Amino acid sequence: MTTVSAIPGIAVRWIDPRVVGVAWWRELVRYRRDRSQIFGAVSRTLLWLVILGFGLGATLKEIEGYTYAQYILPGVVTLNVLFASLQSAMALVWDRQVGLLREVLVSPAPMLSVALGKICGGASVAVVQGAIPLAFAPLIGLRIGVLDLVLAGAVMFAMGMTITALGVIMACRMKTFEGFGSISNGVIQPLYFLSGAIYPLKGIVGGVGFLDIPQHLRDELGRYGIHAIGGGWVVELPVWLKALVYANPVSYMLDLLRLVALDFSQLPLAASLAVITVLPPLAVLLAARAMAGLRGA
Amino acid sequence: MSVIECHGLGRSFGKVAAVDSVSFAMEEGAFLAFLGPNGAGKSTLLNMLTTLIVPTRGEARVAGADIRREPERVRAAIGVVFQDPALDDRLTAREVLRFHAALYRLPRREVEGAVDRAIDWAQLSSAADRPVRTFSGGMKRRLELARALMHGPRLLILDEPTLGLDPQGRRDLWDRIAELRGEGMSVLMTTHIVKEAEECGRVGVIEAGRLVAMGTPAELAIRTLGRATASLEEAFLHLTGRDLRDTEASPRDRIVAFRKRGGELTG
Repeated sequence: MTTVSAIPGIAVRWIDPRVVGVAWWRELVRYRRDRSQIFGAVSRTLLWLVILGFGLGATLKEIEGYTYAQYILPGVVTLNVLFASLQSAMALVWDRQVGLLREVLVSPAPMLSVALGKICGGASVAVVQGAIPLAFAPLIGLRIGVLDLVLAGAVMFAMGMTITALGVIMACRMKTFEGFGSISNGVIQPLYFLSGAIYPLKGIVGGVGFLDIPQHLRDELGRYGIHAIGGGWVVELPVWLKALVYANPVSYMLDLLRLVALDFSQLPLAASLAVITVLPPLAVLLAARAMAGLRGA
Repeated sequence: MSVIECHGLGRSFGKVAAVDSVSFAMEEGAFLAFLGPNGAGKSTLLNMLTTLIVPTRGEARVAGADIRREPERVRAAIGVVFQDPALDDRLTAREVLRFHAALYRLPRREVEGAVDRAIDWAQLSSAADRPVRTFSGGMKRRLELARALMHGPRLLILDEPTLGLDPQGRRDLWDRIAELRGEGMSVLMTTHIVKEAEECGRVGVIEAGRLVAMGTPAELAIRTLGRATASLEEAFLHLTGRDLRDTEASPRDRIVAFRKRGGELTG
């Protein structure tokens, strides 16, 4: 067999665009050939948005002027992003013991590039999976403009990068799949339930004909950033729970999604923008370091 | 000229020395097999030489590069085939090879030609665009061997390459190795099958983390038992004893068992 000679004296480089590209591409090919992930995204959407949204929505008429299904839409998007990202990341455990990762480890490819490609790939899959609930928006009476959809895509990508990178760091420490179920549930559920995805941090929650708020009071509340179209009561989370929600980075990313999808937010915009610009690159660097540790340990 | 030089190379995990201290040289173009019972330290030694793990003592040069200081140069100069397939089941053979070409920075315009040649060489033309998961063990092994050769390595490292192959696949693999050796390729492999080691130029016997003997099969027979008529198997058992070697399941074994139970989400 005649072979192409490799380039001698390989320089140590950190970012090799070809390696980033091929690792990214591989994640997309894997996604395309796995229908079960799309099935999972659709079934999660139906369960949360339609079943829970309309079911619980029958009791909780509205949150801050949005129907319950509308209110949780950004949360369902987030849930799909969390699942897709962690699944991409956790495939690494498999990959390392019986898959392609050993081939990568004995190659001269720089690990930062491999990690970056893998994480961007996981984030891309997360965007596609996260877009599935958004497609249901008209069904629950929401119209989302093109620009807002693009912004939502950017937020989902950044969130996908962060969570995939977090998952990669965990996957590098795991040797078998035996704890896979409990670990992914133990990560996804707290991040999701503590993000304000399914209940508001504070504000007016409308019940069935409980109380009607006079227009002047509603205007007054509007000036404080609290909106209500029907009747309801003011809720405020217990302090400890609020602290956990504020400490959860997913809350801020979700809040940006809520802002672009519903034009409504509960957290300071500056904090959310800071989280979404600082966290993804930081997480990628830490994940690259964890992956580099698999080589030459 | 040596393609591998090892001086007192060793690796401990905690207090356990998986490889105690190994020194040897392998000439360019040689065919060397490491023979040893399960758990003797063959894989750890190979992992150090392929820069997957860092030695805790000693040093080694592979293809002229230091395994500690210049691991990238070592990686670029060797082709490795692992014991179990290191493939992505969802990719096609052609995609697997393209992935490899990018990792090793083959010039872009040469990639498609190199992929075609590798497919031809592995005799996988009719299966080239099928996902690897539909391949038999023999097909996977041919694909991996073709991949390991794609970037023109100086040294080919094979970890238990015949494991799980049928007699035809095994014969084919030996023929391919013989063909490559005819072209001057250096080949290092591990095995625990004595018959296989007999067909290699030189054999190193590994036991409890040490290289206890090294030479041609005939030399080993004379040196350990004093007669050239003795078989390598007799010499091997003399050197390593008759005790059974029971080791714990590795993480890899556990993952494979997990797949067999059918609980996997991503495979």
